Amino acid sequence: MSLSTVADRMRRGALSIGCLVGLSLPVLAGAAGKTAPGDFGPPRGEPVHAILTSPPNVPPPVARNYPAKVIVELEVIEKEMQISEGVSYTYWTFGGTTPGSFIRVRQGDTVEFHLKNNPDNKMPHNIDLHGVTGPGGGAASSFTAPGHESKFTFKALNEGIYVYHCATAPVGMHIANGMYGLMLVEPPQGLPKVDHEYYVMQGDFYTQGKYREKGKQAFDMEKAIDERPTYVLFNGAEGALTGDKALKAKVGETVRLFVGNGGPNLVSSFHVIGAIFDEVRFEGGTNVQKNVQTTLIPAGGAAIAKFRTHVPGSYVMVDHSIFRAFNKGALAILKVDGPEDKTIYSGKELDSVYLGDRAAPNLNAVAKATASSEKGTLSLDEQTKAGAELFNGTCSVCHQANGAGLPGVFPPLAKSDFLAADIRRAQGIVLHGLTGKVVVNGSEFNSVMPPMTQLNDDEIANILTYVLNSWGNPGGRVSSDDIKKQRAEPAAAATAAH
Amino acid sequence: MTHLPTTRRAAILAMIAAAHAAVAAQAAPAQLVSTLPGDSVYRLSPRIVDQDGRAVTLGALRGAPLIVSMFYSSCDMVCPLIFETIKQTRMALPPEKRDRVNVLMISFDPERDTVAQLKETAAAHGCDSHWTLVRASDADVRQIAAVLGVQYRRLPSGAFNHSSAILLLDKDGRIAARTGKLGEVDPQFVDALARLA
Amino acid sequence: MRVRDVLTGLLLAAVGLARAGDYAALPGGRFESVLPQGDQPGVSVPVTLAPFELRRTPVSVSEFLAFVRAHPEWQRGMAPAVFADARYLANWSAPLEPPAGAGALQRPVVDVSWFAARAFCESEDARLPTWLEWEYAAAADESRTDARADPAWRRRILAWYERPAGAALPPVGGPANAYGVRDLQGLVWEWVDDFNALFIAGDSRTQGDPDLLKFCGAGAISIIDRDSYAVLMRVAFLSSLNAADTTSSLGFRCARSLPGASR
Repeated sequence: MSLSTVADRMRRGALSIGCLVGLSLPVLAGAAGKTAPGDFGPPRGEPVHAILTSPPNVPPPVARNYPAKVIVELEVIEKEMQISEGVSYTYWTFGGTTPGSFIRVRQGDTVEFHLKNNPDNKMPHNIDLHGVTGPGGGAASSFTAPGHESKFTFKALNEGIYVYHCATAPVGMHIANGMYGLMLVEPPQGLPKVDHEYYVMQGDFYTQGKYREKGKQAFDMEKAIDERPTYVLFNGAEGALTGDKALKAKVGETVRLFVGNGGPNLVSSFHVIGAIFDEVRFEGGTNVQKNVQTTLIPAGGAAIAKFRTHVPGSYVMVDHSIFRAFNKGALAILKVDGPEDKTIYSGKELDSVYLGDRAAPNLNAVAKATASSEKGTLSLDEQTKAGAELFNGTCSVCHQANGAGLPGVFPPLAKSDFLAADIRRAQGIVLHGLTGKVVVNGSEFNSVMPPMTQLNDDEIANILTYVLNSWGNPGGRVSSDDIKKQRAEPAAAATAAH
Repeated sequence: MTHLPTTRRAAILAMIAAAHAAVAAQAAPAQLVSTLPGDSVYRLSPRIVDQDGRAVTLGALRGAPLIVSMFYSSCDMVCPLIFETIKQTRMALPPEKRDRVNVLMISFDPERDTVAQLKETAAAHGCDSHWTLVRASDADVRQIAAVLGVQYRRLPSGAFNHSSAILLLDKDGRIAARTGKLGEVDPQFVDALARLA
Repeated sequence: MRVRDVLTGLLLAAVGLARAGDYAALPGGRFESVLPQGDQPGVSVPVTLAPFELRRTPVSVSEFLAFVRAHPEWQRGMAPAVFADARYLANWSAPLEPPAGAGALQRPVVDVSWFAARAFCESEDARLPTWLEWEYAAAADESRTDARADPAWRRRILAWYERPAGAALPPVGGPANAYGVRDLQGLVWEWVDDFNALFIAGDSRTQGDPDLLKFCGAGAISIIDRDSYAVLMRVAFLSSLNAADTTSSLGFRCARSLPGASR
């Protein structure tokens, strides 16, 4: 039986069973093996042992211009650590930390990956590296019992920043217990130089006890399935990146953040309070977005954010789904030291009282007049003084503080023949406004005065009393009652009736 | 050597010792055990019978590289492909090396893979004299699969759910290579085979 | 009858294949496993288990010590690599010296391979339990024969999974379950006879993935009930092992078919 007959039989058999069988016949048919982009050929030179670092540190740039064989040795360690002050949790870690060690290779490198499962561990583990092209991202080839080691080899075909995580059933539980990290595959020319590179990774945690409930906390599968985290944390613990563990930079330096999101469930809205990302390789891909305030990092995804510091201070990194930052712990700090630059950020310049609407310097007279009016002892002097306060800022805007008006635009109130002729008419104008032609003191005015609906009876009375007794006007007095009565009458035609 | 009663006693003691070793150790005969490497598959001594009804001792396979895999005759999906892949793998060797390589196929299914069935299957796949198809008890099959790293289980229909692996044992029975590639020849497997043949 | 057969028979009796170990009888019967037992992946088909006996506790250090004394080919250093890996009985200070300390001899024996476990069981005329027998016995808690639907049962099991194996093990002989069997959960992982029939694919997310070239017949196993992750984790653990492997939290106990019952 030839191979092709067997294959045919299988295909027919497969179709009758109704399932797909992925026969790799193209190889037999001699399909031309076109090399994938990112495949720069076989490794050259001596094998290199990858330097792995614990968060928040990042290994130094690869600084190599040819593909090499890189040996990565990563050990899984199950250990109890503090998740919050007085609260401990059993973490399953890659390299003893959550997130796990940072791996840095170059595009085209052949990576010989050794996954070790510490003999003191209880669970089997494996690894899925999102940067691996192959079944399960390596998970199929790295299933390892405690006290054993698995090895598999892959070529890093794509450059970028990739999440890795454990994929042993139940996968969500292994991830929720902290089994995730980042692998950077540098482009062949490397990344542009910056002053600082840092490794930050968000994760959600599910404990049976409440947030900050003291003692040893167990993983809660029901909460994880319902996506109700107890903690949302950067780098695996509250305070992992605050206080003396805060990230550091100086003013005027460039900072590159490799930010990952292990999940297992939540998407991150990553934001640094007080900073703008000059460049974000969103989703860790090749395209760059500029001037970004907040960038979305999917669960199982990562991004590279770059910015330059300009001003000193503590910059708080948060997941801007903000209750996670302040009630679940999604908070980290970048401390920037150095000289201030007031032209960019001045700090607080002025602290003064804000009066809101009636921001006049002094309304005492108004208050006094109101009090007297209630007692029934309102004097002319009090009315005049109150009216003066009220006039300024209201009527004075158009008619000027000295009642001179604006020639050709707003009529004068000073020594106004129009006013003297008919006080009641003046009252009506304040109440209902006036449009159209008027002649005051021999000059023609054709404008619009809006009704002063914001003024009450007392106020109008006091203002008019003040005007009547100022700037050579005949004097007199208007009472609140006058205004009240006139207000009640139907409005005379609000046009000039002259 | 002293005479009669003591000789008989000595003989009896010797037989007891041999019986003890055979029962407790469940290992190959003493002289083979001491020369086999510690990681040799031939340290197992399952009772296996081939397609001609002959009992086979694993240790007897020593001395030539061996391609080994597991199958069952009524499997119409993958197992035929295993046979074909092994044939193609042998064909990938230069002719003078081909004859230095043997093949051992162990059935999961002693119930249906009788000696006669094994003979039929061997003929159907055009297996030459270098191929040995064998059957063993369920317990022995479980042990063989365990040592080869093959997973399998019997389904109610009588079919088997099993992983597909083709292994290469060196002349002393140590696992030298393994491949899961079916339908095509695995170049690394052939390299390892060529080096041993 | 040949002399040799007679002598073998006498030998067997004389060497005293002691029917050691305290066994409980379990009734068997209808049982639904969380692993599909039918032909179709993902479909639950109950099985009928024949009655069988199961050791009440895992095999202890002192019992295994007696075994390797009587069977020196199973001592550390003597057992070949194909039967037991480099960490076989690694925590013993010498091939015949288990760790000392109060109660140390009553701890479950660990760092033993499947072959070693099988040999021990054969030495007491027994065998390893099958996965189904083990799962059936372990489904019980103190008061019920099937506690699997109880989230509290699950949580207790998960709590044990979360405790790293570093600390010294407690002795065998915890509370008995409804069958009178102890320590099935919460002490050590345990070998089963058909550990290599439980194949989760190396990548556990391919459940239900019909990669039929890799797993002829039915693809990799899919768990019937997604809530049975406590059991799933045990299956995943057993699937990660090879027969010669040992780990510091892996022990075993033996089972026996009951006369007249077919396996």
